[in-house]
Amino acid sequence: MNKMIHIKDFSRPGGQLTEIDPAELMPLPPPYDKMEKAPIRQLTDDQRKRMDASLDGIVAIGLTPPATPEEEKAFIEKFLAGLEKLFTVENNWTFLQPLVHTLDYCVKCQVCSDACPTYEASGHQEIYRPTMRPEILRRIISTYIKKENSLLRKFKDSDIDLNWQTLARLAELAYRCTLCRRCAQVCLLGCDNALISREIRKIFSQQMGIAPKEIHEKGSVQQLKVGSSTGMTPAALRNVLEFAEEEIEEKTGRKIKIPVDKKGADMLLIHNAGEFLAWPENLEAFAIILDAAGVDWTISSEITGYDSVNYGVWYDDFQFARVAIRQSQVAKNLSVRKISLGECGHAHKAGIVIADRVLTGDLNIPRESILPLLEDIVLSGKIKLDPSRNNFPVTLHDPCNMVRLMGIVKPQRRILEKICPQFREMTPHGVENYCCGGGSGFAITQSTNFPDWRSAVSGRMKLKQILDAFQDVPGAEIKKYVCAPCSNCKGQFRDMFEYYGVWKKSGILYGGLVELIVNAMVDIEKPFIQWEWH
Amino acid sequence: METLIIYLTYIAYVFIVAVYTIKVVGWLRMPPHIRWDLYPVIHEKHYHYGGSYYEQQEWWTKPRPKNRWRSLLYSLKDNLYMGQYYKSKPLYWLFLLPWHLGFILIITFHILCFFAATAMLGGLDIGAASGQLAGVAFYYLLLVTGGIAFVTGTFGSIGMGIIRLADRSLRKYSMPMNFFNYLFFLVVYGSGLFAWLVLDPTLDEYRTYWLGLITLSPPVLHPMTLLHIILFDIFLIYLPFTRSTHYITRILAYFFIRWDDEPNQRGSKMEGQINALLAQKVSWEGPHIATGKTWVEVAIEPGFPDAKKDHKG
Repeated sequence: MNKMIHIKDFSRPGGQLTEIDPAELMPLPPPYDKMEKAPIRQLTDDQRKRMDASLDGIVAIGLTPPATPEEEKAFIEKFLAGLEKLFTVENNWTFLQPLVHTLDYCVKCQVCSDACPTYEASGHQEIYRPTMRPEILRRIISTYIKKENSLLRKFKDSDIDLNWQTLARLAELAYRCTLCRRCAQVCLLGCDNALISREIRKIFSQQMGIAPKEIHEKGSVQQLKVGSSTGMTPAALRNVLEFAEEEIEEKTGRKIKIPVDKKGADMLLIHNAGEFLAWPENLEAFAIILDAAGVDWTISSEITGYDSVNYGVWYDDFQFARVAIRQSQVAKNLSVRKISLGECGHAHKAGIVIADRVLTGDLNIPRESILPLLEDIVLSGKIKLDPSRNNFPVTLHDPCNMVRLMGIVKPQRRILEKICPQFREMTPHGVENYCCGGGSGFAITQSTNFPDWRSAVSGRMKLKQILDAFQDVPGAEIKKYVCAPCSNCKGQFRDMFEYYGVWKKSGILYGGLVELIVNAMVDIEKPFIQWEWH
Repeated sequence: METLIIYLTYIAYVFIVAVYTIKVVGWLRMPPHIRWDLYPVIHEKHYHYGGSYYEQQEWWTKPRPKNRWRSLLYSLKDNLYMGQYYKSKPLYWLFLLPWHLGFILIITFHILCFFAATAMLGGLDIGAASGQLAGVAFYYLLLVTGGIAFVTGTFGSIGMGIIRLADRSLRKYSMPMNFFNYLFFLVVYGSGLFAWLVLDPTLDEYRTYWLGLITLSPPVLHPMTLLHIILFDIFLIYLPFTRSTHYITRILAYFFIRWDDEPNQRGSKMEGQINALLAQKVSWEGPHIATGKTWVEVAIEPGFPDAKKDHKG
């Protein structure tokens, strides 16, 4: 079915453009080669009535069709107005140059398709090609914005019919790309088709107010409103920290007071607040290490200051800037010397790199990754470590934002090489890694059947890599660890491993980097890592 | 006809240089963008594994040496070798590389012809049996560049057309313009190849032609060579209407987007530019954006949706 799709099909009213056929998906090694259930749940009739699923039967946004032709016309006009704004300096200086370059110079050679894990794992579903979205956009621009002569258009760009269905499918399609930018990395012409996904998302959000609820309403808006995308208020944070302190004492016998709002501290550490609720052991391990190493640090309890996430980086420049500015304001109010980002990939890229050209004057506070500091602590001998405590197979997942998009490659490796005797790399790794499948907001998108899609399709390549890395120890009786120094990646692993039954079938657990460090600490009696599925 | 050739050639060269310049300047004049770097960044010390200065503690206190020569050589090598294609699409590369070599070498050939003609005006005798070393060197250099340009260009134009048709994934995204280009370029290179192999094996006529151009005296040429030169002039005029500027813009994209890892520092020129951009009024109409306010005003507002405007999804 997927072999027959053409760009003009996007304008076909009604019906589903393609379907994910389990038989066409990239094969996985045994015992994952035979799934007992259909890989992706079908939507209910009620869901189908309420939400458009005409792209691939999956829903990330779920737009409601217009009730009248007037509504459809208004929808299209609003989109086109947004598209025009994308090419104006005042509205889109942020990405104008890379956007124009990609649209003007891509020669559609398809080298990027081979590099895309979603396209590859889907069994080469035509709609997931990295060149598909830009090509649709290019044709809309040529036909409806530039309004080029019809003959000339057919000669060099070709037409597209624009209706509500075209745009609904395009909106969904923008949320089938994890923004891992592997496609951009292999492009010899410097084009970035992943960026086009982000720019399409931008039009829908900034012009039309359309974005997945988990990313906007329950994500960046909630973070700005109550303090965290998890919904955690400053008061709730205090409770979480108290709980963490109690747990630390229980697990290690150490009484550690996690510093909160310490004025003039050397370093403001901002975690992904998802850790606090889903993986408190990560927060605890950080507190144990920094306390043992004598680091002068603090956590903030101000709104937005205790959650490093910045979902705007995936879909909306203003939501991105709002969070980045508030995080810097928090640091400024605390008079800290620097901001350090905990184990969260997109927060690294957003806070350290991308915010760089939004923060000016005294808001431009030095920002860095926590990984080099951890490397220094581990390699310098500031804390005593016994690698034999981590004598189990460990592999490392490279979060795209931290590695390919930031160049932080070696610190985490030097740590693992020092403390994990059975550390082994995935293939490929480093800046050529594959995305976990949960990038660009996918890991937090839990509605309808989207989680099935990201486990079955966008995360499939990563699962294969993990299984391959442990192919010498495939059985569940040997416990294995995927080190993922990123909360979003961990969220994806949690859901994907659950989906495939990886813990039961293969005994593979996932977790952060700091947990492995604490697990190796000589003066902590009990093992810190608990080999339980959670 | 020969006089017309002189005018056409000058027009063609002025046109291509002017349009390419306009395009490149337009590209460069776009405002600074948000950092969107992608690793490996070749000027970085640890580029061989993709490492960046962020691997150091307190990176802002450390020097950030940039090896620009390495970056330049890398991007030029990429222009000539196209290694990524070789790795992931070897069959495509087999045609793409000669096709591009054809472009590069035919331009090089004509530039060399210009220098050769200039040298001839200075009394240099160019030929295989020339008593002057420079004359022999010019002779063989022109023969090699011209000959290879005609052969690879012809081969590449045929091959690219075939592979674009044969490969479903390429065919689906190809436009009539792609095939027109292959056909037109085939005629350009093919006519040159024919004239060289059958009529002018020493490529002497091109030196005569360039001598005529420099001295503004119409050269006497074989009609076939003349046809090729007319086609080549049209080719030069047509090139700017294709995506061919990518020879230059891809290098710019590497330097100014992919490898742009320059941090914004307080009081820097970059900060001044950003402040100016932040002061511009935006017209986005999303429910969380106050249309008509400046970029920075919108960014410092909380932007919660109000009752009238609803964010969907």
